[in-house]
Amino acid sequence: MASFLVRRLLRLVVVCAGVSLVTFAILHASGDPVALIMPEAPEADRAVLRQSLGLHDPLPVQFGRFVGRALTGNFGNSFFHRAPAFGLVMERMPTTLMLTVLSMGLALVVALPVGVYSAVKRGRAVDQVATGTVFLGQSMPVFWTGIMLILLFSVQWRLLPVSGWDSWAAAILPTLTLGAFTAPLLLRIVRSSMLEVIALDYVRTARAKGLSEWLVICRHALKNAALPLVTVTGLQFGLLLGGAVITETVFAIPGVGRLIVGAIRQLDFPVVQAGVFMLAMVVVSVNFAVDVLYVYLNPRIRLR
Amino acid sequence: MRHRSLLLLLVLALLLAVTPPAHAQPKDTLTVALVSHAPTLDPHMHFERVGILVNINMFDSLLHRNTKLEYEPSLATSWKPINDTTWEFKLRKGVKFHNGDPLTAEDVKFSIERVTEPGKEKKKSPQYGNIRAIKDVRIVDADTIQIVTDKPFPLLLERLVFFPIVPKKHVEKVGDDAFGTTAPVGTGPWKFVEWKRDQYIRLEAFDGHWRGKPAFKHLVIRAIPEVATQIAEMKTGGVDLIRNVSADLVPEMKSSAQTYVSSSPILRVHYLELDMRSAPFDKKLVRQAANYAIDKQAIIQKLMGGLGQQVATVVQPKAFGFDGEVKPYAYDPKKAKELLAQAGYAGGVDITAHSAFVEFRPVFEAVTQMLTEVGLRTNARMWDPGPAWNKFFQTEGKATNAAYGSWGNYSVFDADAVLHPLFHTEPGGWIGKHYTRVEGLDKLIDEARSTVDQPRRKRTYSQIQYLIREEAPAIFLFTQYDTLAINKRVEYAARGDEWLWLFDAKPKR
Repeated sequence: MASFLVRRLLRLVVVCAGVSLVTFAILHASGDPVALIMPEAPEADRAVLRQSLGLHDPLPVQFGRFVGRALTGNFGNSFFHRAPAFGLVMERMPTTLMLTVLSMGLALVVALPVGVYSAVKRGRAVDQVATGTVFLGQSMPVFWTGIMLILLFSVQWRLLPVSGWDSWAAAILPTLTLGAFTAPLLLRIVRSSMLEVIALDYVRTARAKGLSEWLVICRHALKNAALPLVTVTGLQFGLLLGGAVITETVFAIPGVGRLIVGAIRQLDFPVVQAGVFMLAMVVVSVNFAVDVLYVYLNPRIRLR
Repeated sequence: MRHRSLLLLLVLALLLAVTPPAHAQPKDTLTVALVSHAPTLDPHMHFERVGILVNINMFDSLLHRNTKLEYEPSLATSWKPINDTTWEFKLRKGVKFHNGDPLTAEDVKFSIERVTEPGKEKKKSPQYGNIRAIKDVRIVDADTIQIVTDKPFPLLLERLVFFPIVPKKHVEKVGDDAFGTTAPVGTGPWKFVEWKRDQYIRLEAFDGHWRGKPAFKHLVIRAIPEVATQIAEMKTGGVDLIRNVSADLVPEMKSSAQTYVSSSPILRVHYLELDMRSAPFDKKLVRQAANYAIDKQAIIQKLMGGLGQQVATVVQPKAFGFDGEVKPYAYDPKKAKELLAQAGYAGGVDITAHSAFVEFRPVFEAVTQMLTEVGLRTNARMWDPGPAWNKFFQTEGKATNAAYGSWGNYSVFDADAVLHPLFHTEPGGWIGKHYTRVEGLDKLIDEARSTVDQPRRKRTYSQIQYLIREEAPAIFLFTQYDTLAINKRVEYAARGDEWLWLFDAKPKR
């Protein structure tokens, strides 16, 4: 168990290093922030600014400095906000996590019972509606879903606020938007792995013992069927954070995603680096947690 | 399993806890949506349009500009030049800051020197370039100051229209950081209440404001990046005013029962810059042909919803130095073909044109189509606005043979504010750095900015406009309009300087 954890942690470190290198390389290939900050300024003034931002050093030096600082949680000062980038990101992190966790929760709450039910009643009306909805849900881009929900619930029915993040009511539409993006895939996983499991011998044995159908499905079948779901939920978390970027923009939510989008536009390197790095950390941690959980759920893995 | 039931409970509780939100806003509240907030509320420490629009409603400058775009007294009641490099200002008496402190000449000196930072090598304010010409601020007596520039500086008054005066004592007490985030204090119509970054800025009417009280007690400035969301907020009454309503959305905002549209021509000119370094646009005749090839009226009427005005050059009709005698290129495809033939391109020529202006894509495509029709067969390339485009266009100067652009003068109503930053080649202007090569143009631009003799400047600008119309370093298109959508319960009109001077906003009965 210990060596398993060490190996996973090591992988975590490698992923973090990779993420920072890639973000750093892409950002620095993409242009001169100084030209964007002072478009009209004479070259002499720009040189002064470049100096003060540390952009005059060779790239490897800049990267070394970035890594050294990042290890202590210091990603440098935002060019635009003139405040520590790490602080700006962390200030917005709870909002983004809240949004993703709510959406993931909603997706699971929908996907689990509906998935199980449509597997058990395969081919019936519920199953067909569910399968159709999955198809629809997966085909809708997050951006479009968001706008449509706004038009329906806010403009048409006047039930919910259009945008913002200052009340629970304001959180509903973004959660729905992002949940609708995740739920279909989870539902499909639940359905297919459930279908696989209920055909197995041990389920038949359970039935033969005279257990009620409810107990057979929820107690015996679901436990095994849940394994792929745990994996996919972990993976989906990354996608969900990506979707949160768009959702935050559409619904004017003050989260990390919106901060990063703005920072990319302004070539605000420190903020993009800090933001992407911290989001990557979240994804990696969630997946680490999933790995650990997996060991707990599936004793067979412990041996390897 | 326990976790899942917990989550289920959480979501259920969430759904139940919701109370139906009230959509109608309180009568005395005015809510404006901007695409973002500036990084700070400190009016001297940013250079963001969205920040300026908030700052002007909290801070006063020495001068104000009225809706006719004329100078008006604000914190200065009168002003006059003493000599070529010195202006004298009389300060208004009895003006109070939001914290109760009286406005003094010390505050004015402090505000300016906060940006110029005399004696310091590194300046912290991004606005330094605007007023770098200011050498000294002299306090003559309690209500009189003199501003001394290092050389004649014709743009001084223009710069002072947005140069907010901040309270010296207060800023020194709370420090720059707090002043920009939690404790901004000015003399303007509204005072600071609360700022939630990327969400809203709340302001409240200042009882002691020298103009009197503004009509709306509360002013809320929300940050909503997405246009579709802004439009939905307008339709539901969550927001009273939005900016930059594009031509395709105007009909929707006009026909909605809750909203109306207000438009004004502004200082933003559109053009297609031509790369004069290489063939075919190294030839004047080809550049002129390109100008004759475009039916600007059709573009304005069909694609801009009529909201545009054709221009002869890049100098705006509203800017000082504009010469109406310089006539725009007519639409004359026949003449364009003749000129091309004269230049040796009787069989036409292949060119590439670039654009990163997503919003004006239809205009760009119409222009390239019209160029193709006269024989300048154009390959139109759209770019994502952002880093790659900036690097390609500005840093490396690779946008050959043409690129779509627009320029907003930084809201300065003077020909210099478009000519110098666009066409001057040293230091490199936006286009001049790489693409424009018009002999004698730099010298004329320099000449006009180094005197305060306005009639003389006007003559020089006329000369420049004749010159660039003839040399055609760009295809000159039109000036843009600024279009606001406003809730019908609010009375307000778009301004030519794109400011949101909300003291003028009134509730409609």
